[in-house]
Amino acid sequence: MAQNFNPFVEQVPENVKQAESSKKVSNDNHAVTKRLHKELMTLMMSEDKSISAFPEGDNLFKWVGTIMGPKDTVYESLKYKLSLQFPNSYPYAAPVVKFITPCFHPNVDTSGNICLDILKEKWSALYDVRTILLSIQALLGEPNTRSPLNTTAADKWKKKEEYKKLVLESYKEV
Amino acid sequence: MNNQNLDLKSAWITIKEAFPILESPSKIPDNDFDSAPFEAISIIKRLNLTQQIQDLVIIKIEERLRKEIVPDFWSHFKKTENEAAVFHEFYSVVKFLFHNYVQLDLIINKLILLREASNFTKPVYNQTCLHEALKLIVRAVLLSQLPIDHEWMIVNFYETALKMQDPEEENSTSGECVVCMQEEFSCSCREMFEETNKKLGKMTLLEPLVGQALTDLIYSYIQTHIQKICKDNFDNSHIESLEKWLQTVVISWLKKIYFHNSAVKAMDEFDKKLINYLYNTYTKIRIDQLFNIIIEYPDSLPALDDLRLCLPKTDLKPHLTRSLQKAIETRLLHPGVSTFDVLTAYVATIRSLRILDPCGLLLETITQPVHQYLRSREDTIRCVVGSLTEEGPNDLAEELVRGEAVQVDENISVDEGVEDWETWTPDPVDVVPSKSSGLPRTSDIISMLVNVYGSKELFVNEYRTLLADRLLSQYSCDTEKEIRYLELLKLRFGDSQLHFCEVMLKDIADSKRINQHIQQDLSYSDDDIPMSAMILSAQFWPAFKDEKLELHEKLVKQMESYTGAFETLKGSRTLCWKNHLGIVDLEIELADRTLNLSVSPVHATILMHFQDQNTWSLEALSKVMHVPSTILRRKLSFWQSHGIITEPEPDVFYLQEEQENNENNIQDDIVVEDFESESAMASAQDQREEELQTFWSYILGMLMNLDTLPLERIHQMLKMFAFQGPTIECNLQELKVFLDRKVREHQLIYSNGLYRLPK
Repeated sequence: MAQNFNPFVEQVPENVKQAESSKKVSNDNHAVTKRLHKELMTLMMSEDKSISAFPEGDNLFKWVGTIMGPKDTVYESLKYKLSLQFPNSYPYAAPVVKFITPCFHPNVDTSGNICLDILKEKWSALYDVRTILLSIQALLGEPNTRSPLNTTAADKWKKKEEYKKLVLESYKEV
Repeated sequence: MNNQNLDLKSAWITIKEAFPILESPSKIPDNDFDSAPFEAISIIKRLNLTQQIQDLVIIKIEERLRKEIVPDFWSHFKKTENEAAVFHEFYSVVKFLFHNYVQLDLIINKLILLREASNFTKPVYNQTCLHEALKLIVRAVLLSQLPIDHEWMIVNFYETALKMQDPEEENSTSGECVVCMQEEFSCSCREMFEETNKKLGKMTLLEPLVGQALTDLIYSYIQTHIQKICKDNFDNSHIESLEKWLQTVVISWLKKIYFHNSAVKAMDEFDKKLINYLYNTYTKIRIDQLFNIIIEYPDSLPALDDLRLCLPKTDLKPHLTRSLQKAIETRLLHPGVSTFDVLTAYVATIRSLRILDPCGLLLETITQPVHQYLRSREDTIRCVVGSLTEEGPNDLAEELVRGEAVQVDENISVDEGVEDWETWTPDPVDVVPSKSSGLPRTSDIISMLVNVYGSKELFVNEYRTLLADRLLSQYSCDTEKEIRYLELLKLRFGDSQLHFCEVMLKDIADSKRINQHIQQDLSYSDDDIPMSAMILSAQFWPAFKDEKLELHEKLVKQMESYTGAFETLKGSRTLCWKNHLGIVDLEIELADRTLNLSVSPVHATILMHFQDQNTWSLEALSKVMHVPSTILRRKLSFWQSHGIITEPEPDVFYLQEEQENNENNIQDDIVVEDFESESAMASAQDQREEELQTFWSYILGMLMNLDTLPLERIHQMLKMFAFQGPTIECNLQELKVFLDRKVREHQLIYSNGLYRLPK
């Protein structure tokens, strides 16, 4: 059938070849994009307004997430922004998630890095943006004080009043 | 010497006697056929002057032609009004020329004798035969003095002659000759015509003088003939009759003219030229009419067949493509044409072009703009699906019955059909190559229509909506017919796509059964209000239009008891009523008359409320029925138009038991609502609203995370992340309107060109 091209459009077969070779690369990428698109849709359609995320710009692999501090914790009614960077191998590798809004928390360091098992060794392809954000939201209320990144925060965790003061002091809306 | 001088003088006299033209170019002896100038010839021979004398004579002949005969001949070529006069004029002028020619030829005869006697063979003007040389000279001189408008007379002459010949120009009924208006038997025009041709032929002047004019004349004659035949007439094949006509009328006439011309071979070539011209002209005319031909398909089949036969003989395919495309653009693809008509024309185009060009390339090229256009029309799918399932004779419905699965051309491998490579033929080169020329082409109409959108889902969804509409609006629905259609559609679109529709039809059938069961249930009685329900599986039906309506309590009670009966029958299931859908048969007994009407539940409820209470204010009724007052007013107008309810003071309605005057009770100024035409399904606008709602979630998402964004950025983001599928789109303008609305509703804040969420 390849001969069945009109002689006027001779250059086509060449292009096809090129397209084929570049297809393989983009094909994998395509699966990731598709997955991210789908995740975005689920997220947008979900009723839960305490977490949210959206691609930052033209790049689907870089998102900005927002979580509201969980109720009945010192973080209540505070809004935290996070950045999510998806690797090309997503969802087989975890995205890099960081706090953009300064967060005073035992498991968050000063540059926003988060120490959370599911983002590291316990990552599974079954997790998605929603579960990540929910986990981080839960982490705010229930820190793991045994392996802290921010020792001050870990020390003060028990003293609610003092802790809350420090949280509000460090909080700064972006 | 003197003697010889004298001798020479007398010799010159003898020679001059033999060739009087030498004395003066105009001096021509009238009758000297027999007198062969042997004496002069012997003198010339003796003096060895053959060449000189011959040249002299020829010079004189040329002079005579140049100065007298030809100017005289041409001087008759003037425009006059009288056609018959032209005919005779030309006849006589040719006669005059011929007469002179014959005289000159006599001189030539003598020259030939001279040449023979002196064995002189040197050619004159490259012609060994002096007769030919004379013809050459005549031709040359004639053409050298050609006046500008000489053709006019020639054309006129032959035109008149053609009229004489044309069997369709039947003046012969009156027995009169078209030229001289004399009785046929006494008319000599035909003879004159033949004589003229004969003379021209003899002088070999026919081709140089008349040829071009004759060709033009014949061409235009053929053209007018074809035009006359083809005018608004597509239901006859003309090729054969035209060829016959060409042979019997045109060519035989031409043969008559050229009969005296020995060039039979030239005539044969002329034949071929004429046939080619005939085809060309015919094809061109048909191509110009092609749009009309297509519209009149299948009545125009003979014309299409003609065209199919003609196309390979001519090179007019590119012309066809261009002209048809243009015709379609100007005549079809504009807002004045209804979508249904566009579709009809489109189907006709596909079918017609299928005949013209089985390989489909032409079709593809030509229908490309139609595809694009159809895509831009909103009601295309509805129209297609509607006519697919419509009753009665219908092109698309026929196509549906023809079978064949729809091939949506997304993933069809290009290598398909390699098995029958032996029958593969290359695409014709004379069609404008299109981008998709590598794809396998299909000429199945439904496939093509579906491919306009590139998605089966849209079609199936639209079908579902229409089916739902039909099922719900016609309460006595012909399910069997619907099932038949569904089966046909399944053949094309596959089982999975139409599973929902199957469930819908099953719902209808089940409803009937359940109704029967419930009616047999002893604990349920519907003596007061007989009732039957359509029980639909909400999951499988398209979205319903949601309207609020609180029914009259009597009805509600009845429905509750029905629900109870259903629950006992079906165990764990219950019913969720759509109050605003359905139909109520009413028998209205008024003081002076009884009415039987089938109305919608809203109308019935209104009347039931009036049954309890004679007077209602709009507001009170609206509260009871949970219907907005504006809509309620519209519904009330239905009863007003029936003269049952009046509105004597604003917003207060009375039940009117007796009509005041019978003649004019139906008030003209009340718009009667055509409630039957209302669709039970969510309208396109409602669906749009839903789509916009989806966008809104995305917009909320992006603003929540990215804080502030300008309009363009929002649109761009939506385009990147939210728009899926070909139709779900939203242009910048629409988005702006939508966002502005959200700003008015305080769900958005707009400042400095940026949108953000309120805190």
